[in-house]
Amino acid sequence: MPYRALCGLLGAAWLVAGGGLLAMFVAYHAPGGRSEGLFSTMGPQGHYMAAFAGCAIVVWGCALIAAAWRPLEARGIGAASALGLVLCAAYRLMAFVVGDYAELGNLLRVEAGVFLVLALGFVWLRPRAPGAAS
Amino acid sequence: MIGRVLATIPIVALLAIDLLLPRLEMLRQGPDPVARADVETAVAKVGEPMPDFTLPDLDGVPVTLSDLRGHRVLLTFERSVDW
Repeated sequence: MPYRALCGLLGAAWLVAGGGLLAMFVAYHAPGGRSEGLFSTMGPQGHYMAAFAGCAIVVWGCALIAAAWRPLEARGIGAASALGLVLCAAYRLMAFVVGDYAELGNLLRVEAGVFLVLALGFVWLRPRAPGAAS
Repeated sequence: MIGRVLATIPIVALLAIDLLLPRLEMLRQGPDPVARADVETAVAKVGEPMPDFTLPDLDGVPVTLSDLRGHRVLLTFERSVDW
């Protein structure tokens, strides 16, 4: 049950986040549209890559929701999600060391920590394969 | 079980790095090494002539400060939306 909740909640969050990135691309290229705040320095190329990442995150979210629906049949999605979260955390830790992201401060470390804890959840809450030895 | 333990090792290692990073400030770099090198050798000091430089204007045309000698010069630095 906790595994299904983890998959469902993260899947829903990813759908929102991925959709947001796609919407940001559309808003940036709408007539008179320009991004503001943290994303104002991305430029057209940055928004293009963000939209690509948004598409991938939407698919990831859909896969997680499928895993929440049928956790036993979609065990591999949990393992893949753990790997994806570890990669997300690893590049955030690298970004923390590189000074170009200094304005984000400890947010990078906090995000990395959250992703790693979620990865541990996917590793340990994932249901065992039917018939596997404990 | 062994697979889960093996998968946990790199995750816990990264968590440890995450927690230790604030203690390793010497690893942290500045915004741009090239820019920092320039700053150290070409700092404008009060009362001394401005070090010469060349930068693109709003139209992308390079402008050299020494070419403007004899004119009043007002420098403004802005961050454009598409920068």
